[in-house]
Amino acid sequence: MSKQKNGFLKIIDFFSERIPFYNLNFEHMVTEKEVPVHRMSWAYYTGGLTLLFFLIQLVTGVFLLFYYQPTVSDAHASVEYITFFVKSGFLIRNLHTWSSSCMILCLLVHLITSFAMKAFARPREITWISGAMLLMITFAFGFTGYLLPWHQIAVNATKVVLQSIEEAGHYLPGALAALPSYIKEIIQGEVSVGQATLSRFYALHVVILPLLFMGVIGLHLLMVQLHGMSKGVDEPAKKSEKFFPFFILKDFWLWGVVFLIVFILALCLPFESFYSYPLFEAYDALGSTPDGIKPEWYFYFVYYPLEILPFWVVMLGMTVAGAGIFFVPWIFKNTSRKVLSIIAWIMAAYLIVITLFGQLIYEMFKGPK
Amino acid sequence: MRLFVIIISAALIQVTTAFAHPEFQRYSKEVSGRSVNCAVCHRHSDGPEGLKPGQIGSLDQDELNALGLARQALKPGAGAQSPILNEFGNSILNQLGKEKISELKQRPELLAGSLSKTSDLDGDGIPDVEEFKDGTHPLNSLDGHPWKLFKNNLGKNWFDILMIVLATGSGLYGLQNMLLWLSLKAHREE
Repeated sequence: MSKQKNGFLKIIDFFSERIPFYNLNFEHMVTEKEVPVHRMSWAYYTGGLTLLFFLIQLVTGVFLLFYYQPTVSDAHASVEYITFFVKSGFLIRNLHTWSSSCMILCLLVHLITSFAMKAFARPREITWISGAMLLMITFAFGFTGYLLPWHQIAVNATKVVLQSIEEAGHYLPGALAALPSYIKEIIQGEVSVGQATLSRFYALHVVILPLLFMGVIGLHLLMVQLHGMSKGVDEPAKKSEKFFPFFILKDFWLWGVVFLIVFILALCLPFESFYSYPLFEAYDALGSTPDGIKPEWYFYFVYYPLEILPFWVVMLGMTVAGAGIFFVPWIFKNTSRKVLSIIAWIMAAYLIVITLFGQLIYEMFKGPK
Repeated sequence: MRLFVIIISAALIQVTTAFAHPEFQRYSKEVSGRSVNCAVCHRHSDGPEGLKPGQIGSLDQDELNALGLARQALKPGAGAQSPILNEFGNSILNQLGKEKISELKQRPELLAGSLSKTSDLDGDGIPDVEEFKDGTHPLNSLDGHPWKLFKNNLGKNWFDILMIVLATGSGLYGLQNMLLWLSLKAHREE
């Protein structure tokens, strides 16, 4: 009985330390909150930028909903209509596309810097886990949103990804081998990528994922405010600044500057101009498939290894990394910030190299594609 | 009978392939390094042969007549409107004529030099000949060399950019003053 009580008390202690509701007051969370000033202080702004891009996504996404038609017969035409005939439609759509990429970029930088700063250390485990969940949801946003314009690259790239899920079954034992096929069918909704798939991706992209994201980001922000900013560096900070109004003000000014940059990019540089035009023609199941079908750049870190290395090696690596990200606070509990920084640099270098030079590396191993 | 079928089939193949010029598409693809398909000049991205919209098999009688007229446009300036070509394809046909186009098939690199340097059918600020060499679509104002598009659009939209800079700056200035006032008020109340 006493052992049970002990266990129960331990759980209560665990959560009261991780969720300090006694800090849930205006003074602690706003007026008295201090932000340490040190060489890594810039990293505190990356989370706010991710939030800014999410807000841009939300607003532009709602505008796009006014005109978008989620049917295989009309989806592409409705996107063309938005782009060429709706007043400012091109700007809204391009802003949505640019800010989706920026959101993922900021989220990755935020994740890597938080890791290097050991911002996941006790008692901030829930902040880290909610952040990892936000990363997964954001990737799901990217994946589901990619299909919606129903053009060649969208449909063909989705087919490739779903095929990869099914392929994982070949490496699983016994009854488990059927599981990936089953998952693929659930996602796809029919024998091939079609109307059922588009409807599912649409529902996920515009309802389920935004609701999930808002819930998890609410938790994430609450945790950040309850615990305050993490220390970030080993040496004690010589200075700190008031969260309100100074840090918030700097955050807003940064938001303003970044918004202007993204607005100018969206107004002057169509995101699609980086790709060949045949990729954006309406998907035609009976027509020829254009060259250069690829997922979005933020999936290159898994796409190129899949093209170069044996499938099982990549799937195993990604599954371990994907699951491992949630256990970071316990795996790296006793690791110093110096070692974490080295690991963070290696992660960043891998992501940069594979994203920028993935095609070259592929051609080095497999010849021109 | 068999010979007749062979002759008819050969004639049909000749008719349907006579106006496809993949040499230009291949050249554009080579020099730009981008994926280019038949849609650069044709109405359908798979080219003129077939039954889909914009392909020979889908044409009605009026369109077949227009196609016949376009095929007779041997010299420049005939004003032909081939139903299997898009605006850029017809513009090439009318600027050069079929004879010259056939000649250029052997030297596709000379096509760009033979066309108007100023024509910009999609109005994106990049001349059609440059788009041909860049492997981008001359009829899609959102498709173009990224840097050239950015430069042109920046020049075109300078007023909108100025307005958004002013609006954002003013908004932030107001927000800053509001937050500072709130902070002062909170301190005074303490």
